[in-house]
Amino acid sequence: MQHSALTRGIIICHRCEKPASIKQDGQPCPRCGTHIHRRKRHSVAYTWALLLASMIMLIPANLLPIMTFKSLGKGDPATIMQGVLQLLEHDMLGIALVVLTASIIIPVMKVIGLIILLLTVQLGWTTNVRQKMLMYHFVEWIGRWSMLDIFVVAILAAIVQLGNLASVTGNTGATAFAAAVIFTMLAANCFDTRLIWDKHLEQLEVFP
Amino acid sequence: MTDRDLASTQPGKFWVCPECDLLMNRRAIPNRHEAHCPRCQSLIVSSKRHSIEWTLALALAGLILFFPANLFPILTLTTLGLSQSETIFMSVTALYDSHLFAVSALVLMSAIVVPLMKLLLMAYLSGCLLFHKPAPLLSWAMRSYQQLDSWGMLEIYMLGILVSIVKLVDVADVTPGIGLYSLAGLIIVTLLTSTQLDRHRFWRRIEQLERR
Ligand SMILES: [Zn+2]
Ligand SMILES: [Zn+2]
Repeated sequence: MQHSALTRGIIICHRCEKPASIKQDGQPCPRCGTHIHRRKRHSVAYTWALLLASMIMLIPANLLPIMTFKSLGKGDPATIMQGVLQLLEHDMLGIALVVLTASIIIPVMKVIGLIILLLTVQLGWTTNVRQKMLMYHFVEWIGRWSMLDIFVVAILAAIVQLGNLASVTGNTGATAFAAAVIFTMLAANCFDTRLIWDKHLEQLEVFP
Repeated sequence: MTDRDLASTQPGKFWVCPECDLLMNRRAIPNRHEAHCPRCQSLIVSSKRHSIEWTLALALAGLILFFPANLFPILTLTTLGLSQSETIFMSVTALYDSHLFAVSALVLMSAIVVPLMKLLLMAYLSGCLLFHKPAPLLSWAMRSYQQLDSWGMLEIYMLGILVSIVKLVDVADVTPGIGLYSLAGLIIVTLLTSTQLDRHRFWRRIEQLERR
């Protein structure tokens, strides 16, 4: 039988991973000064809140234009999807796929992944626990790469400043998109994977 | 004494998996070896040879590369006799000029401030640990480094540069500058720093120094 440290009265500091006795729950870690908690506090509620915020921000992020490319005075503001379609029109399939993946596929997959993980904890879907851990690590690692489109707007707006000949400006969709990315990164940080194992062990006791 | 009391009176004799909370007996890990959690397979300890020496060298190399990467142009665009260069800071000001203040602050943080802070913190920390010098703010430096770790996004900025180059090939000539090569070096050094960092060893050393 594999034991959870908590059932043996041991908790760890989540910053420096120093083990401590359960009596130190809520007190500062003797090594790094971070407050020790047996589990990340309000993990499920905070993760849901940040996840909902990011889902809401994804709507304006996709509907509002993120940048305007003007060439010889002509050019309209374009949304993320219009940017991808413009790349396809210019036969740049590879780069269109990179942008589509980073800006649309990854954010949607992250949201779905976190919802599955939250429901795992809340409803006790603890089959394939190891796959769920992989899913969490994937969501956590991939999250930052959605910032790609923000950096592309930043770089193009800086370099394409040739007066009337060609110019690029950023639009408000970029703010909504950046907020959505930040909220999902924070949501992944708030989630505590140990809750999945707690639930798993709890169910093993009931149905051994 | 029950099992439970025995364990909780000597927490230092154990390892706890931070991902799944499995309790393990603590054991020595030889250099260049790793220990994974038997239950969830996440990495518990990755013992590096000369971890402190390497992170100090890499952080100093990164600090040297930081300046050309930020001062020299990354890309230069030329068309019909007009030309325009770009540095990382200019992409921050361009967003500011587009009235995207929050996004411009975010780019400033993730592409300039956080990468620089990470290098400074690591150079200070590994320098103090290497020379066994009890100095103020050691555990603060390590804690801040770990918190900032995923908010430095230079490698994503680099991918953004590549996408921008491809987007601009039809429009104008784009030539890479010294800044781009320095940035590539800086990204490699930053990534190597985080792989060479043996966080358990660092925390143990910090604890020894601060106890004195
Ligand atoms: Zn601690
Ligand atoms: Zn584990």
